[in-house]
Amino acid sequence: MAELKFWDDVAEGEALPKISMHVPYVKVILNAAATNDYFPGHHDPEYARAQGQRNIYLNTMAIEGFIDRVATDWAGPHAFIRKRQMQMRASIYAEDTMYGEGAVTKRYQDTAGRNLVEAEIKISTDEGLRVPAVVTLELPRR
Amino acid sequence: MADVAQAPFPLTFGTYEDARKLIGQAGEKTVAEFSVTQEAIKVYCALVEDANASYWDEAYAQRQWSGIVAPPGLLLSWCMALQWHPHRERSHYIMALRVPLPGDTLINVATTTEFDRHLYLGDRVSVQDRLTQISEEKDTRLGIGHFLTTEAEFVNQQGERVAVQTNQLFRYRTHEA
Repeated sequence: MAELKFWDDVAEGEALPKISMHVPYVKVILNAAATNDYFPGHHDPEYARAQGQRNIYLNTMAIEGFIDRVATDWAGPHAFIRKRQMQMRASIYAEDTMYGEGAVTKRYQDTAGRNLVEAEIKISTDEGLRVPAVVTLELPRR
Repeated sequence: MADVAQAPFPLTFGTYEDARKLIGQAGEKTVAEFSVTQEAIKVYCALVEDANASYWDEAYAQRQWSGIVAPPGLLLSWCMALQWHPHRERSHYIMALRVPLPGDTLINVATTTEFDRHLYLGDRVSVQDRLTQISEEKDTRLGIGHFLTTEAEFVNQQGERVAVQTNQLFRYRTHEA
């Protein structure tokens, strides 16, 4: 199991290690099946090109899962994702390799007394930044 | 590409003025077709290659959360429509698809989700969304169209709020169309 991060031990500026994942065609098809999302841009290259895209592309839910992985691979399975903000500036296509990395930007307690950590996460491909995100995690104290 | 777009994700067509009349309107509350299962969780984790013990390890998940929990990224997937159903037309809860506009295709742009609680095996989500904003016509790299903002609330079968989500998508026609 991954090392468990406790709120007490987190420092602002701390890096969330880089992860990567190749996205072959089959992964994009698995994406459609795994998320019950049969919007044609995710499985039909002809439709995707008619939409102005280069190829079929991952959907929001796949990218959300990869963003969350950057956070929880770092924090461990005891982290609760309180909030995730993401902007899809460009698509991630079949045959791309995607990368995720981040850094802690804030460590604080909210008015409900929750112990929170905010991290900026960047999802990119070899062409550059695709999806900037901000994730707020609730972590246990020691 | 209207014919192609109509088939899998039926869209409603109209003008920006027609669309603006729907601001503030809520869609129907929809009970998810899919309940939360270990199998669906495993398939999704295989997609994003997530080894998180909260999704895979019953003993760990029981200690930490009182049971296996669903990855938060699966939230929308429980509510997606089946490709075919013996008693119903295929329809989507997503309000933005029913907003009358000229654009014959769409792409998701931005999503913010705030989570109140986990979903557990056997849970069944209900969702209702509401159209909150429509931008004026914008000319972008992909085409000409409007940005639609919706807010959705997800509750479990006990009526407890699971998450709220603000979503923005771009409904457009390509420059070539």
